[in-house]
Amino acid sequence: MPSRIASTGVVCLLAALLGSIIVPVAAATTTDADQGLMIDHFDPETGKRIIPNERCLICHGDDQQKTDVRDDGSPVQIFVHREQIESSVHGSLQCTSCHVTIDRVPHREAPAVIVGCVECHRETWAEHKDDPDGEYERLAVVNEQIDSYLQSIHAQPHALDQSHTNATCYDCHQGHNVGELGSIQRAEFRLNNPEVCGDCHEAQLDEYRTSTHGKLVLEDGDSDAAVCSDCHTTHDIAPAETDKAKLAITQNCGNCHEAAQRTYFKSYHGQVHRLGYTDAAKCHDCHGGHLVKGEDDPTSEIHADNRLENCRNCHEEANENFLSFWPHGDAHDRENYPELWGFRVFMEILIFAVMAFFWVHVLLWLFRELMDRSQGKGFVEDLSKPDLVYFRRFPVVWRWIHFLFAIATMVLILTGTTLLFSHTAWAKAVVEFLGGIRMEGIIHRTAAVIWLSIFIAHLAIATSNIWRKRKTFEWFGSTSMVPSMKDFCDLRDMFKWFLGRGPRPQFSHWTYWQKFDYWAPFWGATVIGISGLILFMPDKTSLILPGWTFNIANLVHAEEALLAAIFLNSVHFFNVHFRPERFPMSTAIFTGVIPIDEFKHDHRLEYERLVEAGELDKHLVHRPSRRMSLAASFITTVLIMAGLALLTLVLIGLVTLPR
Amino acid sequence: MTDLTRRTFIEAAGGVTALGTLGFPSLVLGATRRVVVIGGGVGGCTAAKYLRKLDPAISVTLIESKPTYTSCFMSNEVLSGERTLDTLVFSYDGLRRYGVEVVQDTVVGVDPVAKNVQTAGGNSFGYDACIVSPGVGFKWDAIAGYGEQIANESIPHAWYAGPQTQLLRDQIEAMPEGGHVIIVAPPNPFKCPPGPYERASQIAMYCKHHKPRAKVSILDAKDAFSKQGLYTEGWTKLYGYGTDDSMIQWVSAAEGGAVEELDASTRTLIGLVEDFQADVINIIPPQKAGAIAFAADLVEGDWCPVDKRTFESSRHKGIYVLGDASSASRMPKSAYAANSQAKVAVAAIVAGFHDRAPDDPTFVNTCYSVVGEDFGISVAAVYSLDAATNMIEPIPGSGGVSPANASPEIRKREVSYAHSWFKNVINDMME
Amino acid sequence: MKNNQSVIAATAVPIGLSARLHILSLAIIAMLVLAPAWVCAGPSGQAMSFTCAGCHGTDGSSVGPSMPAIAGMDPEVFVDAMKAYREDKRNATIMNRIAKAYTDEQFQEMAWFFASQRLRLFPQPYDTVLAERGAELHDDYCEKCHEQGGRPGDAGTLAGQWMPYLHFTMEDFLNGKRKWPRKMQRKVDAAIEEAGDDAIPALINYYGSQQ
Repeated sequence: MPSRIASTGVVCLLAALLGSIIVPVAAATTTDADQGLMIDHFDPETGKRIIPNERCLICHGDDQQKTDVRDDGSPVQIFVHREQIESSVHGSLQCTSCHVTIDRVPHREAPAVIVGCVECHRETWAEHKDDPDGEYERLAVVNEQIDSYLQSIHAQPHALDQSHTNATCYDCHQGHNVGELGSIQRAEFRLNNPEVCGDCHEAQLDEYRTSTHGKLVLEDGDSDAAVCSDCHTTHDIAPAETDKAKLAITQNCGNCHEAAQRTYFKSYHGQVHRLGYTDAAKCHDCHGGHLVKGEDDPTSEIHADNRLENCRNCHEEANENFLSFWPHGDAHDRENYPELWGFRVFMEILIFAVMAFFWVHVLLWLFRELMDRSQGKGFVEDLSKPDLVYFRRFPVVWRWIHFLFAIATMVLILTGTTLLFSHTAWAKAVVEFLGGIRMEGIIHRTAAVIWLSIFIAHLAIATSNIWRKRKTFEWFGSTSMVPSMKDFCDLRDMFKWFLGRGPRPQFSHWTYWQKFDYWAPFWGATVIGISGLILFMPDKTSLILPGWTFNIANLVHAEEALLAAIFLNSVHFFNVHFRPERFPMSTAIFTGVIPIDEFKHDHRLEYERLVEAGELDKHLVHRPSRRMSLAASFITTVLIMAGLALLTLVLIGLVTLPR
Repeated sequence: MTDLTRRTFIEAAGGVTALGTLGFPSLVLGATRRVVVIGGGVGGCTAAKYLRKLDPAISVTLIESKPTYTSCFMSNEVLSGERTLDTLVFSYDGLRRYGVEVVQDTVVGVDPVAKNVQTAGGNSFGYDACIVSPGVGFKWDAIAGYGEQIANESIPHAWYAGPQTQLLRDQIEAMPEGGHVIIVAPPNPFKCPPGPYERASQIAMYCKHHKPRAKVSILDAKDAFSKQGLYTEGWTKLYGYGTDDSMIQWVSAAEGGAVEELDASTRTLIGLVEDFQADVINIIPPQKAGAIAFAADLVEGDWCPVDKRTFESSRHKGIYVLGDASSASRMPKSAYAANSQAKVAVAAIVAGFHDRAPDDPTFVNTCYSVVGEDFGISVAAVYSLDAATNMIEPIPGSGGVSPANASPEIRKREVSYAHSWFKNVINDMME
Repeated sequence: MKNNQSVIAATAVPIGLSARLHILSLAIIAMLVLAPAWVCAGPSGQAMSFTCAGCHGTDGSSVGPSMPAIAGMDPEVFVDAMKAYREDKRNATIMNRIAKAYTDEQFQEMAWFFASQRLRLFPQPYDTVLAERGAELHDDYCEKCHEQGGRPGDAGTLAGQWMPYLHFTMEDFLNGKRKWPRKMQRKVDAAIEEAGDDAIPALINYYGSQQ
């Protein structure tokens, strides 16, 4: 239009200069020039009417007449607050930018309130996201929220009336009153959030009003207390009965209740939650969702009088002992949970001591062998002369026991550490792969039963063997597993050798580290087994033990398992497979035999004893078949790889473990 | 809901812009175009004003023999005393304010080859385009015994407003109670088809108040006339038409209404069937194109053939014939038609000056008649050019006369609108 | 343009299907491209609007005394009115007959023309006492729709409009011969309740007083 006005103007000017035209103005007046031409009230691009906000506010901004009457006679609220709009983030927009169906003023027919929030925010962001001034950068957040909203239950069609969604933008946001970040409008919007949600969710609002959160927000105006969106999220809202909602809500409790969430995540309940499952108790299961109150409130679900009832929601047979369970027990809190603290310190010292000792042992050993080898000393196989004669070390039963033990242990480590390291992505992936938390539980317990069965079977066999030979059984004989003074001397001499202060000690049938490997599971089986059984059967346990034993059991089960996992997959692997004399592996536990030279080197005392006694030949066998060798190598390789993988996962979990 | 699209918007804006940009190149090029308009009636005045309005760079000269314009429309109200003659007289100063050079002179010839116009005053006006809007002339010899001199002295035609109108008015006023007025209506085509019948109505309205026993007769050369049904309705309602006492009689040609001769001395009209004697006689003679059209060699038969898209003469290029003199079937010879045709011709001339083809023409005619007190009627039509028949045809489904038996409010409003029509036509042509 | 398309279509007949489809699509494209030009043919919006001047004044600024001014008129109001006349939905004397000659597009073109004109107002006699009363009534009951004293807008042109025309219009509304716009009846009834029989003349005089 400006060009038209300009060209008309030029012509008028020229005409006036020529003195040849005078528009007759005798009796007429024209409408004010500042009114412009009617055509200027239309957009030259679209042909659409331009409706200035002032025009809308003549009626909608009149605080004397805030309501009008619909065509059917019913009253309708039409007032909009001018100052509110103008100070809102939408203050610079035209009313019709959002109220796109309004094309005539006065409205020719009852206007349909159709506001295209989504489209406009998307388009505006697409248009301005690369603006250098960043004026529109908040729209990035808005668009994320839109994406979330579109996934949410609110964006789904209403069940009974598919023509509209459950809730749309302006059901919650007053478009006329969206404040800038940090504005009073936003603060008011936050405090008003429960009422806004309560427009639809009436029952929930009624409950919320009675809660600690509700009282703080609605009565005291405390904007630090939780409003609906703090727990339910603002836009990514899922139906309350879905796992998504339950998980998000529980997660969101921790935004304020950090310590409670930290300790919750240490508990089995929290670990399950963190893996993405809702099978165990979430915050609202115990504390009540909308009804959340302090424990001193007699109507609170966690009040001492109500707590057992609360536990029985899941643990149907829970008894009084459950009440002494510490749902938020903190093993680092010496003051409040000294028992738990004590067990943690003990277990950690144990782990530290054992690992420190053995890793030093490993490193020195490695150092020594490498040094010796570089000097051409030590045990070097003659590779040009294949081993033909082997010494039988393990009978079939032992080999099977070890194999099953290895498998069961690895399964236990894998399934168990997913809980311990529930914060890791790998843990979640493993649980999902295994078929969920319940399936994982079944697998873990199955493996535990197998493990314990083998352990007990071995005990039985060993005991019966000893019983049968009780007359002649040499408790400290050359093939005995019972630790003797020689083992301690060997250990001492070994360190001397490591440090170059003596020769490598000569061992009998079992070395001290082999004896350690044998006896350690006795301790482990006791600690892990008992704590595992407690955790396995909480209802039964509570018949005889106080609730806090669950806390202790959970702690020691995890710590001991951790110790075992790390020890087996590092120290045991080194001692058996990775030390240079054996590297890359020893298949003896699956073939049951070792080359006679190797036996001679590692167990010289026993070798000499057997030669002296003339019994060596009884133990000598042929080289295992090629098939046997290959199978043993394969199984060993797989198990070593699996063990190293587990070790890696465990280390990842440990390093990333949140405090 | 109206969808005012970008397309229509741009067209409208473009049309408006044309007001400015059309003149601009002419100014720059210094090629001032000259248009001479002959005749200061509705057609001529409208053309002169709109030429200046559409392109102020065009030099426009209007040549008219009379110093002022006296409108024929509404002149019947002078006969009834509803208005005085001076309310029909308008100055050409309005056109002068638009930059039109108004020359009082009589055109004696147009040279379509040399493209100039000669006047009785001895002047010659060169032109790029010439608009001839001479109105009608009378076939004086059609009724024996009638002539221009008799018309001026005793038996007025009053078909050009001015002294003729006043003469007729004076005669009606002077007529004794119970007197008889005769209006001789011409055969088709003639200017202002409903005019004779409105005239009878207006005279009857005067008589109803001042000479209730007087009679008004129309001797018609036709068997039907414009808005006949509505006139009949109005006359019946207001003047007892159809009864023995009717103030108005209409004698169709079939009933002997056609008049062959006038005996001015006895005020007797000699018809084919019978003779008619009256106190006041108004003869509206049969008509043809105005004299200038004949002088400029623009006539074929009685009227001037034109290209109906532009109103350029079919006989001579560069000359445009507007209004009553042109042969513009099926448009009636009316003020509104001339006004409408003038705008079409102007648009075509301006387009031609800018080497553009003329747009498709559009025409409107509206005509109000005041039958009596609070009884107005109208006829309206919107026309387009039918290229196939080269006829200006009413757009089917549109136009027509006021509804029969309309409410008194509507009839009354049409009187008010008739007066508005009058003011606005005058305004649009010369103010 | 129509002819061109039929020529293209005709040549498409004797050739193969795929070529035919191709040419058909070309014809459709040609139709889309040329359609506006084809619709354009006919008199210009300006030419059509010029024909209105004999009654409504040059460029729509009527000199009265009763024909309404349409210069500077809201284009959508114009189109609404013309459509209503065309469809005999509005009490008319002559406009219904005239409106039947035009298409929607032509109404729009004329609407843009008049919307592009500046309304010239001419003095008309009015009663100052009534006009003052009318001003108050207008502010109380009419201003929200007929903004700025009834200046041209989406509720029509009242300010400076010819009073007889306004009178006819109100007569039609009150006699049920014209459909009330939404909410208007309530407001007019309220004004009449307040000011009685003077209400309508007062308002009309107020609008007429704005010159």
